Amino acid sequence: MATTTLRTTAGYRTGLYDWLTTTDHKKIGILYLANSILMFLIGGLFALVVRVELAQPGLQFLTDAQYNQAFTIHASLMLFLFVIPVLAGFGNYITPLMIGAPDMAFPRINAFSFWLLPLAAIVMLSGFATGGGAAAAGWTEYSPLAQAKYEGIGTDLWIVALLLIGTSSILGSINFIVTIFKMRAPGMTLLRMPVMVWTMLVTSILVLMATPVLTSALIMLFIDRNLGGHFFDPANGGNAILWQNTFWFYSHPAVYIMVLPAMGIISEVLPVFSRKPLFGYKAFVFATAAIGALGFSVWAHHMFTTGAVYLPFFSFMTFLIAIPTGVKFFNWIATMFRGQLTFSTPLLYAIGFLTMFLIGGINGAFSAAVPVDFALHDTYWVVAHIHYVLFGGSVFAVFAGLFYWWPKMFGRKLNETLGKIQFVFMFIGFNLTFFPMHILGLSGMPRRIADYDPNAGWNDLNLLATIGGFTIAFSILPFLWNVFITFRSGEPAGDDPWEGNTLEWATSSPPPPYNFDHLPEIRSERPVFDARHGASHA
Amino acid sequence: MSIPRPRLPQPARSVVALVALALLLAGCAALEPPAAVTAQGQDTRDLYDFVFIIAVVIFFLVEGLIVFAALRYRRKPTDTELPPQIHGNSVLEVLWTVIPTLIVVIMFVFSWQTLNKVDAVSPSPALTVRAVAAQFQWQFDYLAPDGQTVQFTQQAPELDLPVGVDVHVILRSKDVIHAFYVPKFLFKRDVVPGRENNFDFTIDPNDVNQSFRGQCAEFCGTFHSTMLFTVKALSPADFKTWLDQQIATAASTPAPSPAASGGTGGTGGGGGAATGPTLDLTAHNIAYDQATLSAPAGQPFVIKFTNNDPGVTHNVAITDSTGQQVFKGEIFSGPDSRSYPIPALPAGTYTFACSVHPQMTGTLTVH
Repeated sequence: MATTTLRTTAGYRTGLYDWLTTTDHKKIGILYLANSILMFLIGGLFALVVRVELAQPGLQFLTDAQYNQAFTIHASLMLFLFVIPVLAGFGNYITPLMIGAPDMAFPRINAFSFWLLPLAAIVMLSGFATGGGAAAAGWTEYSPLAQAKYEGIGTDLWIVALLLIGTSSILGSINFIVTIFKMRAPGMTLLRMPVMVWTMLVTSILVLMATPVLTSALIMLFIDRNLGGHFFDPANGGNAILWQNTFWFYSHPAVYIMVLPAMGIISEVLPVFSRKPLFGYKAFVFATAAIGALGFSVWAHHMFTTGAVYLPFFSFMTFLIAIPTGVKFFNWIATMFRGQLTFSTPLLYAIGFLTMFLIGGINGAFSAAVPVDFALHDTYWVVAHIHYVLFGGSVFAVFAGLFYWWPKMFGRKLNETLGKIQFVFMFIGFNLTFFPMHILGLSGMPRRIADYDPNAGWNDLNLLATIGGFTIAFSILPFLWNVFITFRSGEPAGDDPWEGNTLEWATSSPPPPYNFDHLPEIRSERPVFDARHGASHA
Repeated sequence: MSIPRPRLPQPARSVVALVALALLLAGCAALEPPAAVTAQGQDTRDLYDFVFIIAVVIFFLVEGLIVFAALRYRRKPTDTELPPQIHGNSVLEVLWTVIPTLIVVIMFVFSWQTLNKVDAVSPSPALTVRAVAAQFQWQFDYLAPDGQTVQFTQQAPELDLPVGVDVHVILRSKDVIHAFYVPKFLFKRDVVPGRENNFDFTIDPNDVNQSFRGQCAEFCGTFHSTMLFTVKALSPADFKTWLDQQIATAASTPAPSPAASGGTGGTGGGGGAATGPTLDLTAHNIAYDQATLSAPAGQPFVIKFTNNDPGVTHNVAITDSTGQQVFKGEIFSGPDSRSYPIPALPAGTYTFACSVHPQMTGTLTVH
């Protein structure tokens, strides 16, 4: 690790050119966030397309083929180009600040990791310009359906896009791991690292171990499709289930990649707005590590109905993973207990996360009970489950993080009133959309169907879900307006608007290049709190 | 620029709380699977109910704690001093690790026991049926007691089964992965090319003469949503009669020669030369291109039927207003066409439909 003299941005790098060539982790973090939110908006439009078509039985607006592309691209954008990168964006911005480092360990690799993502988005979406349309076999691209016999060139573009994203993830994870192990400020021992940094570390290890498996599988699928391979093609001696095993060996840990940093954000927000330390810090760290470890032994719970899985093992491991998650819940709640809660927007979103992610955990336990999963698998119940985890969980945490760190990133606070209006509409819209899907799933509505029997009793709940979808879309408008007016005339934030605990609040808002003039003493996981209140409270 | 938030008056807050609670309870009450119609489904339902009770208790306990903390520990203007800085409590933390561990172990054991019942396969089932799935249709082979010989193939997506006896189903895919899913069985199993999945179930005798909706549950391509089927529960005697009749019909009807253009069933679908006026009808994307056809009464006519769905089978079958089938055209795979000779029909309104995809229908007016 070479240290260079502190040097501000070179004079010739200004404006757009600066943003296109920057290696500053803060600017790269903001680029990650901006690109991810753009993908969230595009992915959200695809979700609305799906909801409009499902609002009533019959095909009103789309063909079956177009519908299948819409839900495939919705999920692919949201998972691979929104949730994973948006959390990597927070990690990028905040990890070096939280551990008192001047930048990430490999700044240029960091920039490269980011720039692969817009490229991947262009490649994936360019499928719509091809004759056969974009990828349409679902974000899981199960073989044999994903073979060239059934799906067009859009699927090849999807594979290439995922290879690019995977490369970005692997490079990013190495960067995080090296940064966290090698660049911590003096005094910042591992067990004084903020929980957000711990979640980034565990997430990066998951990414590093899981993504190469997906990358291999994608290359094999590409060979199957284009070079006469038969890895996953049972008609020619291949194995259809092999794709599922390799795909989920990545994609189940990926759920934790999409959730652990969100838990990290919540674990930063709750203590600050409760004016208390995180309850059970060490238990929290161990629970994070346990989720990471157990996360590698549950992938086949996505495959219970294939008949090709040793069911009791994967059922048991899936039940087990509820335990560290439960520990985290109790720690979060205990953090609020006897605290002094300030209901700023970040706390509102954090409590939104707690209430909704809880449902995502509980409805997941149903599917751990294998026979119940036989009933619920591939129905709208599962659609409800994933959205309570990734929207009720991760997306609420993303907004908590945006409102929490926006003042640090830009020196201005987002408007609180608009933030609360957004929260109310998003919370109501989210539940209107996704709660009815539990009932639809129980009554037998399979996922990924373009049309349904008008006599199946699904009409009203589908209409309700569509109304909810538009409510969520509406809730984004105050956010966009909020961003606009905050850039124009937002309230100046000062260095430490929330009375924060962690090192990012010890520097200016926004921080200078290379982050710190000087650091406070680090004697606990709350160095800025210690500096404010003295060691007597620590 | 934060605006002081007007607090709702006390009665209004109570109303909000009551409405929220009512919605929660209504939501919980609605989370009920359909009544199971198989013995195995009933076992699954018992497990569901057990998990559901635990889930509801945990939900209300934890949500209650969250809401309580959020309401009780708001920061007051008088809160200038820091609250007690509690870093943890070993006893509590051990408790809330051990108790959930016990709960999930109990849930696992119960679900494992249920799994062994639901997954059990009888060595001597009363009936073995092979469900063959392909894009985008189901057919059902009724196998002889040896479990190998096909006695009769049901090409329509209708699975007639006896109640009260053990039925063994073997799943086979001709192309991609599908899934056999009957919501009221509380069960599904993937139909995986290259492997033969199988399972058993026993339909409850109380559900005799009921029909249950079935559907492909694993996304299988463009027209996935059209892969519907129906399970019909018959008494064992009725089932035997039905099956014998189907086997007899299948034996007496010669397989249609590839060049022949004729119906394989119904009245007068003999395969003679096509005569009379010709109506054109095309199937594409699992749909007919016309919803209405009209034909002259009292004289034979021809439906020239073109199937434009590659690899997907269709036909045209005509039923009269009483539901009696008056013509059934040969089922064939696209892209191809057939000229169906339709016998003279009395004036009236008829329904035409695809035997393989009953959702493909239209109205035939004869006048």
